[in-house]
Amino acid sequence: MILQNSYRVVLFKSVNQTMWAEKILREKGIPHKLIPVPRQISSDCGVCLRVESGQEEHVRNVLVNVEGFMEIVPL
Amino acid sequence: MLDRVDACGLACPQPVINASKALETNDSIIVIVDNQTALENIKRLAKSKERSVSCEMKSDGIYIVLEKKMAIETDLENNHEGIRNHASRDERVLVISQEVMGRGDNALAVILMKSFFHTIAETVPAPDAIILFNSGVKLLVDGSEVLEDIRLLEKRGLRILACGTCLDYFKLKDRLRAGHVSNMYEIKELMLTAS
Repeated sequence: MILQNSYRVVLFKSVNQTMWAEKILREKGIPHKLIPVPRQISSDCGVCLRVESGQEEHVRNVLVNVEGFMEIVPL
Repeated sequence: MLDRVDACGLACPQPVINASKALETNDSIIVIVDNQTALENIKRLAKSKERSVSCEMKSDGIYIVLEKKMAIETDLENNHEGIRNHASRDERVLVISQEVMGRGDNALAVILMKSFFHTIAETVPAPDAIILFNSGVKLLVDGSEVLEDIRLLEKRGLRILACGTCLDYFKLKDRLRAGHVSNMYEIKELMLTAS
């Protein structure tokens, strides 16, 4: 079953920082997808990482100290 | 008294996130931003949340008032939107994915691009829009040798879309001198409706 709001997006200040964070998630084997920042959030600032909502805390722990980390918000 | 969100000095997309949070508990809010990109993003947020927008430039920032809309306003806008989208079909769109034209000899690729833009600027009727992404956005920043041609096209009503992700990647957002900062949604839509 697909739950509504079953994804979160992780936002960074810049594209380069998002790419760096993606590399970390890949190395840790955390499922993720790089997507454009959703329209309703804002879309002139590029890309973000979509993760499963169940992984939110895990992802936060892994990425919170990465430079440029801003926020994890529901998709 | 409306709830105020002071988003000056905040990096994109933080102003939108803060405004979005405020809208969860308030029908109407004032958002204060200090740049054009944030203004555009807040306007887009307002649209998705069905709020009307009015803004005022003040010395300490752009004050944007978001207010709950009447149902009839929303209907009218939806109709208008439908007409606009329909009219945008069959546009002639150019896509520029790098700052030079073709691969091979780089010096040659540079002059080819200059020559190309000169020709486009003289083309009648001009295309409707140009999308620039990856290193193509470098053609829109100060120091670009085709800037004059691009500005001329823009003056004639041609839309220039610069990939915002790419400007961010190359750290060129502050140096944009033509076109407007765009995003993957807009680029996709324009490409799909192009003739």
